[in-house]
Amino acid sequence: MKKASKKIILLGHFGVGKSSLIRQFVENTFTSDYKVTIGVHILKKEVEVAPDENVSLIIWDLEGYDDIKKTRASYLLGTHGFIYVFDVTRPATFENLKNDIDYLTNQYAKTPLKIVGNKADLVTKTYLKENANMFGVQPNFFTSAKTGTKVDELFTTLAKELVK
Amino acid sequence: MLETYRGTYFHPRTQFITIDASGNVLESDNVLFSLKKGDEIGSVSPFFDGLSAYFDLEEDNDIKFTCIHLENGKKKEFTCDIEFKTFADPSQPSLVIIHDFTDHYDYYQEVAQSRNESVINSQVLELQNKYLKEKEDFKNTFIANFSHELRNPLTGVTAFCSVLQKTDMSTEQQDYVEVIKSSADHLKNMIGDILEMSKIEVGKLTIEEELFNFHELIELLDFTYTVKAKQKNIVFEMDFDDKIPRYIEGDKTRIKQVFENLLENAFKFTATGKVTFSVKENQRRARKVNLNISIKDTGIGIPAEKIALIFNSFTQLNNAQKYSGTGLGLSIVKGLVELMDGKITVESEEGVGSNFKMNINFKYPINQENTSLDDKSDIENKNFLTKEKYNILLAEDSELAQMAVLKILAQEGHFFLDIITNGEDVIESVIHNEYDLILMDIRMPGTNGDELTKMIRSLPVQNCKTIPILAITANLYDDDKKRYKKMGMNDIIEKPFDETTLLKKIYKYLK
Ligand SMILES: Nc1nc2c(ncn2[C@@H]2O[C@H](COP(=O)(O)OP(=O)(O)OP(=O)(O)O)[C@@H](O)[C@H]2O)c(=O)[nH]1
Ligand SMILES: [Mg+2]
Repeated sequence: MKKASKKIILLGHFGVGKSSLIRQFVENTFTSDYKVTIGVHILKKEVEVAPDENVSLIIWDLEGYDDIKKTRASYLLGTHGFIYVFDVTRPATFENLKNDIDYLTNQYAKTPLKIVGNKADLVTKTYLKENANMFGVQPNFFTSAKTGTKVDELFTTLAKELVK
Repeated sequence: MLETYRGTYFHPRTQFITIDASGNVLESDNVLFSLKKGDEIGSVSPFFDGLSAYFDLEEDNDIKFTCIHLENGKKKEFTCDIEFKTFADPSQPSLVIIHDFTDHYDYYQEVAQSRNESVINSQVLELQNKYLKEKEDFKNTFIANFSHELRNPLTGVTAFCSVLQKTDMSTEQQDYVEVIKSSADHLKNMIGDILEMSKIEVGKLTIEEELFNFHELIELLDFTYTVKAKQKNIVFEMDFDDKIPRYIEGDKTRIKQVFENLLENAFKFTATGKVTFSVKENQRRARKVNLNISIKDTGIGIPAEKIALIFNSFTQLNNAQKYSGTGLGLSIVKGLVELMDGKITVESEEGVGSNFKMNINFKYPINQENTSLDDKSDIENKNFLTKEKYNILLAEDSELAQMAVLKILAQEGHFFLDIITNGEDVIESVIHNEYDLILMDIRMPGTNGDELTKMIRSLPVQNCKTIPILAITANLYDDDKKRYKKMGMNDIIEKPFDETTLLKKIYKYLK
């Protein structure tokens, strides 16, 4: 059995649900209480990416910043993948989405990146369809840490890309 | 001694660990985490997994990580800064230094918590407001458009009731028509209320200022409500201060509407006792007179907890069927009084009665003696007619409205009516015929009525500058009215109109 370990980082404004997504993915739980993350929490979960092939995801849950450039450089060392999370209900969290994504793709051109609109349970599918252009960039997933929608898919898809 | 104190009071919060190239512990002082030789450092936290990926192994490294959350075996959480030192010389093991700054970071966490929460709350509030406002705007526009659309078919109903009443009918049939007519009138009033309220709410309603005889208005109301009180077997008392200037400047129609609305309200809710209408001068300053106006009743009153609500749109406290209406009356009154820069308040006690008090400023001319208003009272102007027959052009695309006008004018017996349904043909027809008056619908296929009017006014034909043009429209926004006048229309007939209104206006301009 092959087993690699890969470091992925969750970025995005505060309160968008980074910790909640990870909690849902790792523990299958959700809480509506908001406990602000400071610095970084690191968790680990093994994911099956192919029959007989697992990858150990080392997930870095970062404190939210309103400016991506403020992210502490040391946290980014040796990162294999990024997940950029925004909150579909709060424009402040996606106003700069395009810029942030451009920044990441310039700085870390080879590092896979997933763009995620979270809290999809708070809006309707039609709303997301009709306002597709509102976010500036087409997100890869609309997730809900609350209901679990697309959460596993998000992490598994990324994990598979990391071992390719 | 110092050493003893150190032993007692110094609690080192820093752990030193050396590890080999594959991340196994060589030595550890176990100040924070207990590790044995040979343990994987990764067992403390996944943070240490894949450490080597962080470094360039060819040279010496010194890297600091701040604010990392770690957990020891007893589920105790630490928030630490972690330092790595690696050496290019393979004989030198790597060093890990963990500084426990939990207290410091806990404080920082609290600060961040309250900052983030308040930022998010204000963003959410802002969004809610925006959403509410959009909803409110949508509602108002919708209501305005919708009530507007209702007016057209209603015109058909009211106009044809009048026409029908003139035909040969049995008394029973006459009665039925009367019922239809009064129901339609009621509906018309309610739609009017709703439209008016939505106009106030979107700021589309303006107050005109014209000189008018205030005493006359009060006398009229006094007369009307004295009669009404007799019918209802209650007392109506008018308490009017004669010193108030006879002529004041204001929006006569709106002032009348406010008074009538409050009086109707007082009458509606008063089964026994008295309604008192009092108008008192408070003070005069410059060219302004300040009036205290109150309408007091001995009716059912308003429960204390509901007083704050009664001026809101769509609230009728007694929602039982007993009192009909849209419940908009009072909010319209409040809106109008505020547009006049006045104030309205209410005092009320359940079972005892209510007192609506207003305070409004009005401009008035200092020289009241020389003020006279040309008496534009809408008495029948019919008798002044000089011609046998009058040519009237009706530009209107709705068949219902055409029929209504046709029937009404036909009964009068001295009108020729030309009907044109298309904007383009109007100009042609105006050039080739000598009309005495034009009735102009606003919304028409081709060119709009107001545009047509402007074109007619600029035609080089003799009477085109002077011929009376009356707009027929359900567009009642004040901006629109102003625009129509600017385009050269003489007056406006509002849809839905009834026989009397239409004839009055026509005769007025034929005179
Ligand atoms: N309804 C709903 N609420 C969510 C969802 N995800 C997160 N939340 C709520 O949003 C708040 C913030 O979630 P966190 O996961 O703490 O957000 P974060 O991005 O980690 O925030 P920081 O740590 O401050 O950067 C919490 O109250 C969560 O309960 C979701 O998918 N749906
Ligand atoms: Mg978090």
